Amino acid sequence: MLKTLCELYKYREMLKNMVTKELRQRYKGSVLGFLWTFLNPLLMLVIYSIVFSTIMRIDIENYSMFLFVGLLPWMFFSTSVLISTGSIVNNGNLIKKIYFPREILPISVAITGLVNFLLSLIILVPALLFFKMEITVAIFTLPVIIVLQLIMVLGFTLFVSSLNVYFRDLEHILGVLMTAWFYVTPIIFPLQMVPTKFLWLVKLNPVAPLMFAYQDIFYYGVVPKWESLGNVFIFSVASLMIGMLTFGYLKRNFAEEL
Amino acid sequence: MTVIEVKNVWKKFRLYHEKRPSLKEIILFKGRGKWEDFWVLKDINLKIEKGTTVGLIGQNGSGKSTLLKLLTNIIYPDKGQLNIKGRVSSLLELGAGFHPDFTGRENIYYNSSVFGLTKKEIDKRVDEIIEFSELEEFIDNPVRSYSSGMYMRLAFATAINVDPDILLIDEVLAVGDANFQKKCLRKINEFRKQGKTIVFVSHDHNVVAKLCNYAVWLDQGEIKASGGSKGVIDSYLAHMAEQEEIRLAGEHKQREENDVIGEVVDNERVARTKEEVNSEQESQGQSPNRWGTREIEITDVKLLDGKSIERHVFDSGEHVTIQIRYKVNKGFGNPVFGIGIFRDDGICCYGTNTEIDNLLIKDLKDQGAVLFKVDLNLTEGHFLLNVAVHDEDGYMYDYQSSRYSFVVNSKLSEVGICKLPHQWIIS
Repeated sequence: MLKTLCELYKYREMLKNMVTKELRQRYKGSVLGFLWTFLNPLLMLVIYSIVFSTIMRIDIENYSMFLFVGLLPWMFFSTSVLISTGSIVNNGNLIKKIYFPREILPISVAITGLVNFLLSLIILVPALLFFKMEITVAIFTLPVIIVLQLIMVLGFTLFVSSLNVYFRDLEHILGVLMTAWFYVTPIIFPLQMVPTKFLWLVKLNPVAPLMFAYQDIFYYGVVPKWESLGNVFIFSVASLMIGMLTFGYLKRNFAEEL
Repeated sequence: MTVIEVKNVWKKFRLYHEKRPSLKEIILFKGRGKWEDFWVLKDINLKIEKGTTVGLIGQNGSGKSTLLKLLTNIIYPDKGQLNIKGRVSSLLELGAGFHPDFTGRENIYYNSSVFGLTKKEIDKRVDEIIEFSELEEFIDNPVRSYSSGMYMRLAFATAINVDPDILLIDEVLAVGDANFQKKCLRKINEFRKQGKTIVFVSHDHNVVAKLCNYAVWLDQGEIKASGGSKGVIDSYLAHMAEQEEIRLAGEHKQREENDVIGEVVDNERVARTKEEVNSEQESQGQSPNRWGTREIEITDVKLLDGKSIERHVFDSGEHVTIQIRYKVNKGFGNPVFGIGIFRDDGICCYGTNTEIDNLLIKDLKDQGAVLFKVDLNLTEGHFLLNVAVHDEDGYMYDYQSSRYSFVVNSKLSEVGICKLPHQWIIS
């Protein structure tokens, strides 16, 4: 594993190029180009604000912001995992012809997701101010949460991208799974709304504490509860280990399976 | 110093008889094997010293490319070990990592990074790469607007400038125009002089002979010979000639059998439609490979070597006898026998007959043979032999085109059709 890490460092330029390629390609050919990276979350926010303030009245103060704060990190998680699933299979041509540490492919998807997430935060902060919500010192704990989430996302992407080579149905299964997962994560509803008999589902959900942390930082303006994050830390590191080991074991036959 | 060590390496491929099994099939036919294991490489042992240029030769499917992929670390052996020291760059396929929408320059950066270079290292090389690719004017255009030649040039230039300790090349030199090919070869030669190790797969034994000082001949997954490139290539060519001989002999046998069947059909047709006697000639005239009245018939044609053994593959300059067996069916005038040697692209290399050579044949036995002795001064290639017998006025008894095919091999890479007797005098 140490060898893989050294090699990944050696290939950092490739990782960087893969990420810029992803970012550039997404809005390739559109008039507004890279601006869409900001426009997308902004317009999303506008729609939610209109819908939840006029059509579906929900008895939560600044509900659209509550939703937005949870939705952005969730999208970082779910899109990274979903896109990375096919990252090995779709780059078969490269894998069969050139040697490079294969980990680069899913990792670059995760990093791209991270960059997009960070850019969307640039929209989030002015939006909070616009809705006259306070930004407190809790924001300084944000990097810790983001790093935690990144570790978890990396673990997941490594795991699913390598498994998908041998079991291509995974891509479709994950699509459905993510939708279900979204609804057992308190993003569109606060934890208080979850009936007690389903509370265990949220408790088991490793993504939920991360979402709480983001909500604490941005929506409630308090420092996240560290106890629950301890478990997330253990889970994230474990998932990264499992992801790397699985990937390391499965990557030997990538070129033949593609 | 040994830089590449291959120890008892085995590699198998799993050949599925059908597509990947679906879930239904997995459940229904569980335990029923639907694949076959195929050993592509069997117990390969190889040690390559630093600074050697190694040529891997062998027929299609002999495992050359698989071995190269193993060395590149793209696939892994099932058994055995590979030890490789130093930075490896492989040119398995040019431009594999190119992105069509990026400009040439962007692709240089992108592709070099895929080869493991850092930004600083690429900055240092980029000018050299552009110069080598001869694409100065187009370097800031997107690669999708390039011609395939330009694309390949850029790809080769990028790949070769990675500056590896070990370079693995798979048949990629077949691209580009002659000038660029020469340039590639020159670059590879430069590498050799810098004491880098090169492993090189090629069908072109001339290139291997020119570039490599060591050669490995793979045959059906096994190393059949390895050592100095000249010796290995010679025994490889000898083996190939043997194979070709067997193949051509088989083809001939097949053809002769077909001819017999054809004749039987012909005879039947003649018997059925008696009044159309004339059409016999016509129908024979229509046959593209054989026509004539058959008053004298050519029954058999053979090429014999110096030991009077029939062969289909000869070395350039070898002494050969063309043996034409005939049979007389009817009275005749003064017969003339002729031969014509054509290259497989239709160019006539040489043709003559007994009349041109002032040989008057007044009498023939009922059955016999005409021998044509010749030094086969042809360059390398595939050739066809036409034979004919007619009377002095050109009235055709029997004409058979492409009656016999044969191959000439040459160890020299001269060009042209035939070898003119020559000598050089330098003063």
